[in-house]
Amino acid sequence: MSYDLQRILESKRTLRQRLAARPVAEKLQMLDAMRERALAIRGSALSKVSESTVAREDPPNLGPSESHGE
Amino acid sequence: MKIRHVLTTLNQMQADGIIDRFAIGGAVGATFYLEPVDTLDVDVFITFQSEPGSLLVSVSPIFDYLRGFGCQMEGEYIVIGGWPVQFLPPTSPLVEEALVEAVTRDVEEIGTRVFTAEHLAAIALQTGRAKDKARLLQFIEEAALDAERFQRIIVRHALVDHWQRFQRQFLDV
Repeated sequence: MSYDLQRILESKRTLRQRLAARPVAEKLQMLDAMRERALAIRGSALSKVSESTVAREDPPNLGPSESHGE
Repeated sequence: MKIRHVLTTLNQMQADGIIDRFAIGGAVGATFYLEPVDTLDVDVFITFQSEPGSLLVSVSPIFDYLRGFGCQMEGEYIVIGGWPVQFLPPTSPLVEEALVEAVTRDVEEIGTRVFTAEHLAAIALQTGRAKDKARLLQFIEEAALDAERFQRIIVRHALVDHWQRFQRQFLDV
């Protein structure tokens, strides 16, 4: 398998130009779709982080004498 | 989640006298001319009115109005139709000019105001973050700019040095 970088870059440029030429309403719908996807990914990542695989440290018990006046 | 809802809300706000002149900038503004670029928010530039007896401008009337429609605050954003929207004052003469010279565009029969491509490109040049430079390159590569108009803007706003540096860095000029 060989990679022709010039051809790949040209193909990407053509795709960008085709997308740019789409009607504005369609492009704004694409923004809606991208945002929904981003939120779904973020939600999924957050739920994974909250699973028990993450080690948690209890905060130190700072009594009044150890506090910093906060 | 619909960005169209943001556009209709802005028009309603203007009709109800909550905002005066407005225009969409940022990545959503650029999407009117370029391919869609993923973005976190919608930047809406508006002329703020200072409150009587105060030199400070206030967004309270905007937020109060939108809260009446059930919109929620998220930090400095207000969420309209699922989109965090940021209302911004023009922070430089260039942005002031962009606001004045913004163009009306129709999105499926919804009229809205958006910065011109040349102003968006000049603002990207002035702001100069990595993502702004990438956007400016998109405008150039996709031939989305009226070169003479862009040139006049960067001369008027003392951005010629910035432009020459950008050209040396990215355009082999």
